Amino acid sequence: MYGWTGNILRINLTNRTHKVEHFDEEFARKWVGGRGFALKILWDELKPGIDPLGPENKLIVAVGPIAGVPAPNTGKTVVAAKSPLTGGYGDGNLGTRVTEQMRKAGYDAIIIEGKSDSPIYLYIEDDKVEYLPADEIWGRGTYDTHNWLYKKYGKGAGVLSIGQGGENMNLYAMVRSLEGRAGGRPGIGAVMGSKKLKAIVIKGSKPIPVADPEGMRKLGLEDLRKVGEIDKKTGWSIQGTTGVLAWCNEVAALPVHNMRKTHHPEAWRIDGERLNNARVATYGCPNCTMRCGITILDREGRESELDYENIGMLGSNLDIFELDQVASLNYLCDDYGLDTISAGGTLAFYADAIEQGAIKGDFRFGDAEMAKKLLGMAARREGEVGNLLADGSLRMARQIGHNSEAYAMQVKGLEISAYNCKFIPGMALAFGTSPIGAHHKESWVITYELKQSQRDSYGPEKAAKVIELQRIRGGLFEFIVACRFPWIELGWELEHYAEYFNKTTGLNWTLDDFWKVADRIYALMKFFWVREFPFWDRTRDYPPMIWFDPKNADTEGPIAGKYLELDKYNQLLDYYYEQRGWDKRGIPTRKTAEALGLKQEADEVEKFTRLE
Amino acid sequence: MGSPEIKITVKLIGPFVNQIGFSEKVLSFPDGATVETVLSSLPLDPKRPKIVTRNGQAVASGEKLKDGDRLAISPIYSGG
Repeated sequence: MYGWTGNILRINLTNRTHKVEHFDEEFARKWVGGRGFALKILWDELKPGIDPLGPENKLIVAVGPIAGVPAPNTGKTVVAAKSPLTGGYGDGNLGTRVTEQMRKAGYDAIIIEGKSDSPIYLYIEDDKVEYLPADEIWGRGTYDTHNWLYKKYGKGAGVLSIGQGGENMNLYAMVRSLEGRAGGRPGIGAVMGSKKLKAIVIKGSKPIPVADPEGMRKLGLEDLRKVGEIDKKTGWSIQGTTGVLAWCNEVAALPVHNMRKTHHPEAWRIDGERLNNARVATYGCPNCTMRCGITILDREGRESELDYENIGMLGSNLDIFELDQVASLNYLCDDYGLDTISAGGTLAFYADAIEQGAIKGDFRFGDAEMAKKLLGMAARREGEVGNLLADGSLRMARQIGHNSEAYAMQVKGLEISAYNCKFIPGMALAFGTSPIGAHHKESWVITYELKQSQRDSYGPEKAAKVIELQRIRGGLFEFIVACRFPWIELGWELEHYAEYFNKTTGLNWTLDDFWKVADRIYALMKFFWVREFPFWDRTRDYPPMIWFDPKNADTEGPIAGKYLELDKYNQLLDYYYEQRGWDKRGIPTRKTAEALGLKQEADEVEKFTRLE
Repeated sequence: MGSPEIKITVKLIGPFVNQIGFSEKVLSFPDGATVETVLSSLPLDPKRPKIVTRNGQAVASGEKLKDGDRLAISPIYSGG
């Protein structure tokens, strides 16, 4: 078998034991890697209803067959667990040197189970696993932690760590790597913290099993060069992802004031142009020639690596239009190991709830200094407010009441990324059906909605577009595992990825083979949720109710008077479910499941709810 | 008297700012100007896919512009 090592490293932190297990080619072909492996392992091994922060939960680190192979942009790793934020399946990917080192150490996935009785970190070098005391780094931020580990193991080591957020089980704590990379929005860092696992360090020295190593190397390096050239020609990296901020402001899709507003006259002060002008450094992931980590100095003089989501959620959504202050909030999130999107969404909800009189507090929109204090309190779970903030917007809303859940801007408990869908039906559907809660990484259809289609259409073509993009973004790129940017931002054709996959594995797959795996994974992710929440219905695929409220419509600008219509959104959901072969509740039918090779999984889920 | 003119605010997005050399400018065009009139007046690669909005709304080919319109010209972003 090429492309896969065939090895999974299972580590038990309770007993401090480990063993290597093996999977066969059938498993590899069915689930491919990354998200596919993580999901299948969690489905098979977790009992439904377990406490996500208890020793029964498992942390999965998984790579795919082309991960770490020199090619565009293969430096990504998936981290996954049952999410403490949402209670459902949770994962995320991040650029890290762990990708290559893990493959060289001889593993496609690592399962971390149990719980240590004291803070530790893992050092994995090929076949060796060490359980080392983390007393010197426990309580410290991710920057200090990384530097401490780099001093010990060298900068080439693969390092994943958590900050104070993960240690204190803030529910949107992330896993951090490199200069500002982070992954695992639905609280995967909190799961790591619950196991008292501060960091994972990996080094490997074995060759990655590639069917055609010389051909792949030649092709991969050539394509890395070509992608770099396209990037240079198009100028994408000049503003990176942050170029979209000015556009969102033009078309009324920017998150402002907890998404109650869609544009703002001051938005230019935090846009990609200003960011590029303030740039002091640029960082990127391994195997990348279109580096997107634009770095500026924050108000306190520290380097802070920003992308659009960070600025949208910690800037405009909080009415903060001073770029260096946004950079400070972003730095703190990175150092505490918090998800910038959920942190921004939760702080905005808190400010909004205070403004609405649902809760008393001192925080106001636009107050960057108070936002900094609150992030620290949330990371450390300090006091009543720190604890409220650490649980995310949905739990906070349920605790404070006063109908505030309507404006907790989340789906399934995960805060919505920085695209305000007050009047963007297809993107609202993308957030609604995202399989880990509201996340833009699965599907992004706004330009499609404004260009090829009609913004106010709720037609089947929008459901089809959402599914098409989910297959690519949430499927292919999450299981092979690679960054989607060369394809999505530079037009680097998907066929290249099939070529990398085939040269690596020795198989002869077409894109249709990938789409089938993607559909299988999407169906099993839904089954995972249904097994946890057996009374599942379609309302869990709804965006926040405020988007359906005519009183929330903009009073001026491009979408004045417009809002999402619930009956039409339901129609759109129907189109989506029909095209996926799911029932009216949004659950894959038995026929669909069996056609995807999920008979056993359908039998299991039917212990909890009837399948159509 | 010359032919009547309309003033259009042209807002460039992302790398177009560096490629064209300005971020936002009020430009004059002859009455009856369309989106294509504005695009052809700028040194933009015609083959490069782009999305143009007029006052925040998608604009159709051949659509006539009005005095005071705001035209945003952006490369196709795909949401990171």
